Parts: sequence; structure tokens; C-alpha cells
Amino acid sequence: MTTGDPFTMTGGRVRLEGREVLRGIDLRVATGDMLAVLGPNGSGKSTLIRALLGLVPLAGGRTEIYGVRPARFRDWHRVGYVPQRLTVGGGVPATVREVVASGRVARQSRWRPSSRADRAWVDRALAAVDLTDRARDPAQELSGGQQQRVLIARALAGEPDVLVMDEPTAGVDTGNQETLAATLAGLVEDGRTVVLVAHELGPLEPLITRSVVLEHGRVVHEGTPPPPEGECAKPGHDHVHPHEAADPPAPLRSWSIGA
Amino acid sequence: MTELLQLEFMRIALVIAVLIGLTAPAVGTFIVQRRLALLGDGIGHIALTGIGLGLLTGTSPVLGALVVSALGAVVIEVLRARSRTGGDVALAILFYGGLAGGVLLTNMQGGGTSMQSYLFGSISSVTVSDLYVIAALAAAVLVIVLLFGRELFLLCQDEEVARASGLPTRFLSLLIAITAAVTVVIAMRAIGLLLVSALMIVPVAAAQQLTRGFRATMLLAMVIGVLSAVSGLVGSFEYDLTPGPSIVMVTLAVFVLAVVGGALTRRRAHRAPAEKVEVEAAQA
Ligand SMILES: Nc1ncnc2c1ncn2[C@@H]1O[C@H](COP(=O)(O)OP(=O)(O)OP(=O)(O)O)[C@@H](O)[C@H]1O
Ligand SMILES: [Mg+2]
Repeated sequence: MTTGDPFTMTGGRVRLEGREVLRGIDLRVATGDMLAVLGPNGSGKSTLIRALLGLVPLAGGRTEIYGVRPARFRDWHRVGYVPQRLTVGGGVPATVREVVASGRVARQSRWRPSSRADRAWVDRALAAVDLTDRARDPAQELSGGQQQRVLIARALAGEPDVLVMDEPTAGVDTGNQETLAATLAGLVEDGRTVVLVAHELGPLEPLITRSVVLEHGRVVHEGTPPPPEGECAKPGHDHVHPHEAADPPAPLRSWSIGA
Repeated sequence: MTELLQLEFMRIALVIAVLIGLTAPAVGTFIVQRRLALLGDGIGHIALTGIGLGLLTGTSPVLGALVVSALGAVVIEVLRARSRTGGDVALAILFYGGLAGGVLLTNMQGGGTSMQSYLFGSISSVTVSDLYVIAALAAAVLVIVLLFGRELFLLCQDEEVARASGLPTRFLSLLIAITAAVTVVIAMRAIGLLLVSALMIVPVAAAQQLTRGFRATMLLAMVIGVLSAVSGLVGSFEYDLTPGPSIVMVTLAVFVLAVVGGALTRRRAHRAPAEKVEVEAAQA
């Protein structure tokens, strides 16, 4: 088992189709963090998440998952990923349960059928997103918000130590956002780590321990508590709030960044 | 039927029909899942060049088809992974190249008639030694599906999450492409290269009208595949038709029935809750 922080990126640069999408990102995510990545559309949030996971190559700088470069990282069962998707995808119907169960693939051996423990974790993940009664329905026939919850459950089913979620609450109603908040609170209490992208934090807001705000591929704000509206949210306002463990994260009301 | 079984070529043909009916839809389910329904067609066209090469060099056309279509499948996969459009233009280019190359090469060799049998199939010319090769390839395909099914499902469903789960996505992508190429070669003697892909796709399309899950779709597609291949073959023998197109026509008929059946069951499923509400309202 590798040690070290879940994610460390230093001077991370990403070019896509010749455009510089991330321009030198320094980011450390420590165990037990619940980090929110914020910023306007196109600021590079998804790209940052994908770079942290090694899904897009870096053009400069370096990044590590639990102290290991993504290409050499082997403990993928420790990582759960909820991509930014509108739908579950796939050209063949798959039941909700089948999609969720596929989140355990990193914990399973090619040579063995699914175990009782596998099924128990799938049950737990389905219950965590309140989709137990839809388990046998085709995932593609669910509503958009329900499909989003299927993708969350797929990541939860793998019992990840660090859960990376790209806009997990998009299209999810308030009640189910509260359910998700409770699940995530439980994970962080267990000593797990959460990184999430969001435009509206909603019920997740009080759980966030740190946040970074991206703009044009740069971190323009980092710290606790997250920036209030006003001076800090203005582009060009570039400072880092000091980390003080004694400071409880202040709850925040509104979150319009870059608007 | 017992009469048919007394003919050796018919016994061989029936075994081959069962093997094709099992393997083509099994691989086809992953290909449809990955939204690459035309992959089999592309490979089929490329295989023609392999047959041309095999005929021209006097080696085995089946071996030529196997090698060239596996290479073609790898090229398609590389182009798919690199291009943002999903590689359908790349597929089209390989289609035409494969077809033109195959026809040119066979004409150089002067074997226009044998090309015909590869294009549309001639199951009655399959020998016992062909059967052994086909059976071995079919067994390999089924073992791959069993062993890697879980990983291939996630790969075809969501490639990025598959990578973030630590799956060897490049290897698995090549595996599915090469398995598809092998399946094309298995089916080519019986169905013909131009129609091979139909048996990979149509049973899956039919099955998904009636099923709710991935595994169920694959199993039902395999049942449909075997039934259509066997009945198409027997029917073509009874009525003196070409086996390949007959088999494909049967799968298409099953597809049409499945669409109608699926629409009916879904309508009933939708109506049931509404009726219950009406009953409850009447009781209240
Ligand atoms: N595959 C790609 N090829 C080329 N450019 C890309 C690609 N993906 C993203 N980009 C560009 O990178 C920039 C950042 O995209 P990214 O998806 O990271 O934004 P985001 O902050 O997640 O936005 P959103 O809030 O809309 O999800 C955008 O300008 C986008 O055009
Ligand atoms: Mg995004």
C-alpha cells in the first residue's frame, strides 16, 4: 500500500489541441480533505480532475496519486471517479445494478465470479443514492438526475479511499443532494477524502473543508473559508487565505463565481 | 431433419451454424455497447484483401483473412483512440481500401468465382479440417468473453472510468477489436464477408427490444443467433437457397418480431399502473 497524500500536483500544465488549458497548478489534497473545485465554465475544472487522475497527460510539472505518478500507480481500487456526464451511456441496455457493480472491477479478480462481499457493497451503494428499488431497471431509462446518482453509486461501490466527482450534483434534486451530503460526511468521518467540482454547493456547502477557484486554467483563489461574493470573487484578485485549523469553515450562502 | 443429419457436409454446417450463432452475437453485444456497430463490416471488407493475398500467394485464404483482418482491427482501434470523431471516417476509408484491394488482388490471381464464395458464403464447401480451426477460434472467443467480460463491459460503457479503475484499456480495446476480427473469419465461410456483421449486430438489436440488462441482452442475442443460424441453414437447404443470406433474413425477421413484441409488452407495462390507479380511484 502506498502512503502519501491522495493528490499532489506541482506546476501542472495541460495543453489540449494546442491550447493551454491548465497553466501551472499547484495543488495538494490531504487525507480527510473535502475539497471543492470551483470556477466558471471552461476554466479547466474537469481538466484538472482528469489530470489529477492521469487521464490527460501533463505538458509540464508533475502530479502524484498517493505519492506515485499516475502511469506507475497500481492501487486504483483506492480511487473512485464520477465523470461529468449527462447520461450513463452505452449502446446496450444495462440495469442500474449492472452499472453500479462495474464500479467494483478494480477490487475483483478476472478469475473469480462476484463474491457475496461484492454484492453487499453494491447493495450499500444503491441504498446510499436511494435507488435500491430501481436496481433492475435499465439505467438508460432513468431520469437525468437519477442517472447521475447511478454514476455516484458506481464510484461508491468500489469503497474508494478518495472519491473524485465532477459535478455530481448537476441535475440532482435538493432531497437527494442532502442524501449525498450525508453519505459524503460519513466517508470523510471514516478518514476518506473527497474532491468535487460544483457550481452550486447547496447542501454540500457546510462539509467543504477547502476550496480552490479556477479561472483560465489558473488557481485564482484557494483556502478556507471559501471566497465570499465581492472583492475576492473579482478576477485578478489573487491571494491565498491562510490555513488555520482552529478556524471552523464558515458556512456560505451564495456562490456565483466569475459571474 | 434426420435425413439432413446423414449428410456429412450438413452435419459440419450445422455445427458451424451453432458456433457462429453463439460467438457473433456475444462479441456483437460489446461492439454495440461501444457504439461501433459498423466495426464488423469494416473488418469484413478488410478481410477481403487478406483473402486476395492468400489466393495470390497460394497460401490459405482463411489464414490471410485472419492475419489481415486482425491487423486491420488494430489499425481501426488506433485510429478510433486517436481521432476525436470516433473514427467513423477512418472506418470508411478502411472499408473502401479493403474492398478495392481484395477485388484487385483476386482478379490478378484470376479467381473471381472463389471471391464470390467469400463474399456471400458457401457453407457446403467447409471441410472437417476447416471445422476444427473454426471450433478452436470460437472456443477462444467464448473464453475471452467469459474471462474479460466484466472489464470489457466497463470499457465499452465508460472508457474513462475504466482507465481510472486501473484497467489496461489499451490492451482491452485491442482485445475486443481482434476478437471481432476472429469472429468475422469464423463466420465468413458460412455467411460471407458482406453479411457477417449482420449476425453480430441484428440479434443484439432484437434482444434489446425485450431485455432490461446487459447480461440478459447478450444471452438472449446468443439464443437468437443460434436459432436463426440453424433454421436459416436448414431452410436454405430445404428450399435450395443461399445459406448466408437466408440466415440473415431469419435474424431480420426475428428482429421485426422483437420490435413488435417489445412495443406491446412496454405498452402493457405502462398501462398496468394507470389501470391500478383507476381501480383505486373507483374504490375510494
Ligand atoms: N478534449 C479537448 N480538446 C480540446 N480542448 C478541450 C478538450 N476538453 C476541454 N477543452 C478545453 O479546455 C478548457 C477547459 O475545459 P474543462 O472541461 O476543463 O472546463 P470546466 O471548467 O470543467 O467547464 P464546465 O464548467 O463547463 O464543466 C475549455 O476551454 C475547453 O474548450
Ligand atoms: Mg467540467
